[in-house]
Amino acid sequence: MVDASIAKQLVEAIIANLPAPVPGKRPVHTIGVGVKGEFVASDVARIYCIAEHFNGQPVPVSVRFSNGLGGLEQHDGWSDVRGMAARFHLPDGTASDLIATTLGEFFVRNVEDFFEFAKVAKLEKYERRSWWRKLGDLLQLKVPRRNPYPNETRNVDAGALRYANRHRFAQLGVFQVGLIGAPKSYARASYHAVHTFWVTAPDAVRRPVRFSWQPVAGVRNTDLKEAEVPRHKYLFDELEDRLRRWPARFMLMMTIGEAGDALDDPTKPWPGTRIRVAMGTLTLIKVAEDQDADGERISFNPCRLAPGIEVSGDPILEARLGAYEVSREMRGGCPFRWR
Amino acid sequence: MPSDEGLLDRFVDWLPTTLVFKLLASWTLVPFWARRTPVKPLPGGPHPSFQHSDNVQCMMNLIMPLKIKSPIGRAEAALAIAQNKDAIYAGLNNVGTVHFARFVIVGDNICMFSVYDGDFTNYIRDFIATIGSVFNAVVKLVEGGDDVIPCEENVEAFIQWVNERDLYQVPDTATDFLRDQEALNGDRAASGNDDLTLLPRKLVLQLRANANVSLGSGYRAYPGFSVAQVRKQLGLGW
Amino acid sequence: MFDLADLQGNILRGYTKKPHVRYLILEVADRSAARRWLAASVSGRGDGVPQITTGNWGANKPDTCFNIGLTYEGLRALGTPSASLEMFPNEFVEGMTARALKLGDVGPSAPENWPAPFNEPRRIHLIETIYAENVEQLNAVQERALADGEALTLLGTREGCGFPDDVVHFGYRDNITQPRFEEVPDSQRHPDRQPRAPLGTVLLGHPTNLEGLTWRVPHPVELGHNGTFNAFRVLKQDVAGFEEYLDRAASDLLEHPQVDELLPHGDEEKIGKGLSRRAALREIVAANLCGRWRDGTPLALSADAPDPKADLTDFDYVGDSRCPFGAHIRRCNPRGGQIAQRIANNSRRLVRRGMPYGPPYDPAKPRDQDEPERGLLGNFIGASLGAQFEAMSCDWLNLGLQDPRITGSNDPIAGANDPGTSWFDLPLKSGGTIRLRGLPQFVSTRGGAYTFLPSLSAIGFLGSL
Repeated sequence: MVDASIAKQLVEAIIANLPAPVPGKRPVHTIGVGVKGEFVASDVARIYCIAEHFNGQPVPVSVRFSNGLGGLEQHDGWSDVRGMAARFHLPDGTASDLIATTLGEFFVRNVEDFFEFAKVAKLEKYERRSWWRKLGDLLQLKVPRRNPYPNETRNVDAGALRYANRHRFAQLGVFQVGLIGAPKSYARASYHAVHTFWVTAPDAVRRPVRFSWQPVAGVRNTDLKEAEVPRHKYLFDELEDRLRRWPARFMLMMTIGEAGDALDDPTKPWPGTRIRVAMGTLTLIKVAEDQDADGERISFNPCRLAPGIEVSGDPILEARLGAYEVSREMRGGCPFRWR
Repeated sequence: MPSDEGLLDRFVDWLPTTLVFKLLASWTLVPFWARRTPVKPLPGGPHPSFQHSDNVQCMMNLIMPLKIKSPIGRAEAALAIAQNKDAIYAGLNNVGTVHFARFVIVGDNICMFSVYDGDFTNYIRDFIATIGSVFNAVVKLVEGGDDVIPCEENVEAFIQWVNERDLYQVPDTATDFLRDQEALNGDRAASGNDDLTLLPRKLVLQLRANANVSLGSGYRAYPGFSVAQVRKQLGLGW
Repeated sequence: MFDLADLQGNILRGYTKKPHVRYLILEVADRSAARRWLAASVSGRGDGVPQITTGNWGANKPDTCFNIGLTYEGLRALGTPSASLEMFPNEFVEGMTARALKLGDVGPSAPENWPAPFNEPRRIHLIETIYAENVEQLNAVQERALADGEALTLLGTREGCGFPDDVVHFGYRDNITQPRFEEVPDSQRHPDRQPRAPLGTVLLGHPTNLEGLTWRVPHPVELGHNGTFNAFRVLKQDVAGFEEYLDRAASDLLEHPQVDELLPHGDEEKIGKGLSRRAALREIVAANLCGRWRDGTPLALSADAPDPKADLTDFDYVGDSRCPFGAHIRRCNPRGGQIAQRIANNSRRLVRRGMPYGPPYDPAKPRDQDEPERGLLGNFIGASLGAQFEAMSCDWLNLGLQDPRITGSNDPIAGANDPGTSWFDLPLKSGGTIRLRGLPQFVSTRGGAYTFLPSLSAIGFLGSL
């Protein structure tokens, strides 16, 4: 169990790196929209996991899609990590949460790494690289860094790059973030829960697994070259429009880890050769009417899990338990019962 | 359109997207950097791994340039395969670890793309034992092939020869490719003083050293199962 | 016919009457002195450097047996011409430490964890083996072997001693089956249904089991012909852990709904005199993991109980033999049984020469943390390391590719098992199975090397370089 003071320090480190404070709201993934849907497990899900939402009965789900960047300014079109937090509502009033992002791996292994990262990757001035420096890059067969978006004056890219250059485990995460782009729709991105969980089967066999949501409509990013200026607000309207016309679906894919895999290291994704089980389908029905309750005050926690699913020894996952609670309290989010 | 963007800024943004620049860079910059910061060719085949699902459905991507680079040479290769259909099926069924084997002619190359289980050398060796004659017929038509046929009498050399023509599999995760380059130079450190912005150049230079590569280790719809497992599960007899 | 006197004796003979063995692990100190030493070892002189024991003993059995193996680094250190060196197979050139992933030497078995002298594989050039009836003889031969201090430096030794009746540390009777060869008088004591193996299974320069295939014989002919390769491995055996696992498995089985099918009440006496139900279940698990009951009775012939009257090796995995598909002896040698790689039946056979090391395990003693190290000094001899030892270790022992019913599991006794994911299926008479889980790793590698066992002519050739 991570020390309560460490959890607070983690949240404060994140808040300290914000362009401007956001009282009463999440420090990161501030901008988001709540959506209602239903999950139906596949016919094999119950073979692998006894958790109630995998038994085949339809289960109502509350989802919140979000933009990763912290702060009140909405920049849908900027290259940014997106979040998809889902709560499976179980018949007895409890729930199981699954928090996922479009970034498939984290960039630090544990809390100590994170604090060091927060020190190195601070908000810095971000300006257009001068033309002659860019030419120098091209002559060295490097790709010059992207131009700042209109109104983008600061970001953490330079610091993150410095950190990645010194720590090889961070390189994949930092590299992927640089290329992540902006999806055409929240419903057209793949979201990964990153951390390993242990699921228990009816015959008491436990397996280490990782979850991902795959959009049935397919992944589609906006082509950053076409759009001269990235649009600031289009994702919420797009989602509402889409769901009014037809439901959006996601497949829940569960990858099973093997002996020798990095189970507790969120910086290492598992290879595509691992066995993948289709655990079920999530159908998003409509944007929630009460966005204050279902978009803002709803508070997910990656460690709120139904019986049959347990956390692994991943130190970041463990730290998130406390950090999410602290953040919820600080912003007046709605507490939800644990088991 | 920010007001600080001058003509030169727009020019430099536009330049790398042009064909002219890419061609000029290929002719001048690439050889220059290849001499300044040389890279060694990376070995082919799947990355060695001890884990079970990494050792089934492994990909082999073999590119073999034909001796006679003309439709006649290609026809000879096509006939060599067509005449040996029975042998190929007998081999496939009795070696028991090959999911798919495809012979493809691309340009003046005869290529073999296969999906197999287990260790690469065992699979090739068992094939030499069963369809060695087919290998001989095909490799006879390939540049450099005369040194290693008849394969039954040059087993170790033949396996080595095939291994050298098996393509490097660029890892699915881009930064793992950097780790491969480092490992080839004996650098297995957990951290160093790297420069991630050099990744594009490193990739370009590597693709110069390994002209043909497999992008990723292949995408699988049902990873993790051997041939015999699939056949047994579907009730086909193994 | 070929000349048994040209071979080193340990290839076709087990030296079964000499239960003490010592391995001398040596580095070439001076090239010319080392060559002279080699020449002397086959010179026929009675004093000085011990003479290499050949395969032809004539009328007199030697008192002690002395044999050598050379690593690639050793051949290089002796100044073998590079044209010859290039003809040695890849796996031998790379050395055992470079093949760790193929052999399952990961985690506790990884070469990074090997003790001296195996942690410096490049310095291991020569491995000499001395077999004798007592330790005094071992010492005497060792003294003679090292008398010329200039030629070779001793890096380390390993010593083993056999137990009565060929029992090994896990309590099984071992050394029952060895391949029988065409053209070689049958020295095996037991009738064996397996076909005779072609000489090329174990000697370079002869036809192999794979039709039409021959392994490359390093030139010149004197060097390579009649030589062979050996995978020497120091295998530590966690006997305490094994016995503990048997306890746990037996306790779990007692609760299992199908335990009565596995062991009908009243049959405990058949398994062993005076055994409780729990102890009998332990023996059943031990037998299924291995493929033989502890006394050597093969499960393929007698799946319900050990049977002293059963043939020890005259069986095959056909018909209704109830040996588990994943049992150790079946995984390593599937005989004529159904395997996915049909071409490979009877092609990956090995001559095994092993000797236990370390004190015997005493089940009565309370288990404490400081168990002395014990295990097996194993030699796995075959004409092609890649086609036989490595192919068996990689595809069969640890991946289980030969049978879809075991694919995804490792060998229960010798495999690199992780208790979180390991499993093993016990077959029931009705055709169902009981799945055992949580098998820990019982055997870990604590050293080893790939060596070339040169013929007598080859030793002479190297001596005269």
